[in-house]
Amino acid sequence: MIRVLLADDHAIVLEGLRALLEGEPDIKVAAWTTDGTEVLKLVQQHKPDVVVLDLELTSIKGTEVITALRDRPAAPKVLVLTAYNDGDSLRSALDAGADGLALKTESPQQTLTAIRQVHGGQLVFPQAARRWIEGRGARTPGDLTPREREVWSLVAGGLTNPQIAERLGLSDNTVKFHVQHLFSKLGVKNRTEAALKYAHGSPPPGPPR
Amino acid sequence: MHDGPVQDIFAALSQLQVLDRSLAADPTAQQRAGQAVRLLERALGEIRNFIGVFRPPGFERRALGEIIEGLAVQHETLTDQAIELDLPADLGDCALPTKIAIYRILQEALANGHRHSGAARQRVTVDRRGSSLALIVSDDGKGFDPQRVLASEVDVGVEGGHFGLRGIQDRVEMLGGTFAVDSAPGRGTALSVTLPAE
Repeated sequence: MIRVLLADDHAIVLEGLRALLEGEPDIKVAAWTTDGTEVLKLVQQHKPDVVVLDLELTSIKGTEVITALRDRPAAPKVLVLTAYNDGDSLRSALDAGADGLALKTESPQQTLTAIRQVHGGQLVFPQAARRWIEGRGARTPGDLTPREREVWSLVAGGLTNPQIAERLGLSDNTVKFHVQHLFSKLGVKNRTEAALKYAHGSPPPGPPR
Repeated sequence: MHDGPVQDIFAALSQLQVLDRSLAADPTAQQRAGQAVRLLERALGEIRNFIGVFRPPGFERRALGEIIEGLAVQHETLTDQAIELDLPADLGDCALPTKIAIYRILQEALANGHRHSGAARQRVTVDRRGSSLALIVSDDGKGFDPQRVLASEVDVGVEGGHFGLRGIQDRVEMLGGTFAVDSAPGRGTALSVTLPAE
């Protein structure tokens, strides 16, 4: 069962989406709110698997909510749901470290699919996002140490630092150190970007586009 | 454009899909619900194609490079035409009127290049030249006769939010910049613009 928290300023959207999600056998709406400042409290209370969040919240920036969620242990997956299919939405979602982006200009069925995909550990972004991230980063993945490549593949697999530490038999701090170096070498800001880049530039490194 | 209609249609679609499920025992009613779903999805699809164009892209918040990157990504998402973006890492920011002008000009140039060139990709280069910023948008598509197009646009004015080559030229001259189009039928197109950075 996928437990979902919905946050959207538009009560009508919330109501419609809630009704739709409740009809799915594998999804349960754990909580919902029109107030962005409530999200963190509700996440603490209900521990949802996926947070579906509009970036255009009135009381607080959607990106701030995502960043705050990202810092928590056992952070839920975050799916941004927005009306705007533009570079600004895409960049905000990526910068904040969301797991995916769904559009209100697509059928709500697409949102359902995206919820299942991010829950399953996939990153759900338009193709253009990958190209964008691919173009960044001064260095090529060829500069990575074997350990950094290992860490990269696990980050791309959706593992948290503590999970990576356990898998590789390292301390949390060592993993943190590798992750920081990895991000700086790849020219990415966060795990989402590192994972998206992995999909294209994973070892052995492909030719530059 | 305000995003209100999108919120409403998205919410209505969600409700309709719930309704659609509960109508499994009544095929005629379900068919009607299905039709309504398709109509609303089509309306959303049409809105999708232009809603991004009308949202102010956060000129105060975002540096020039980010604004340009965003526009390139948007163009690729909407058109499937690839953009080769050449931006120096140390491009920095510029005065607000210049930033807005570069955004509008690039938007128009990309739209023109998509509508008329037939090229699979466009190349966008932005660079600092002394106290100026240079923008070059080029493709290896069909090309055209710039003098003829500029002359034909004199009386057209702004149409459907597009302001054409003439509009780009006017905007550049208003800010004291330079404007040049290098194109000919069969030879591709390069639009070059410089604007004072501050």
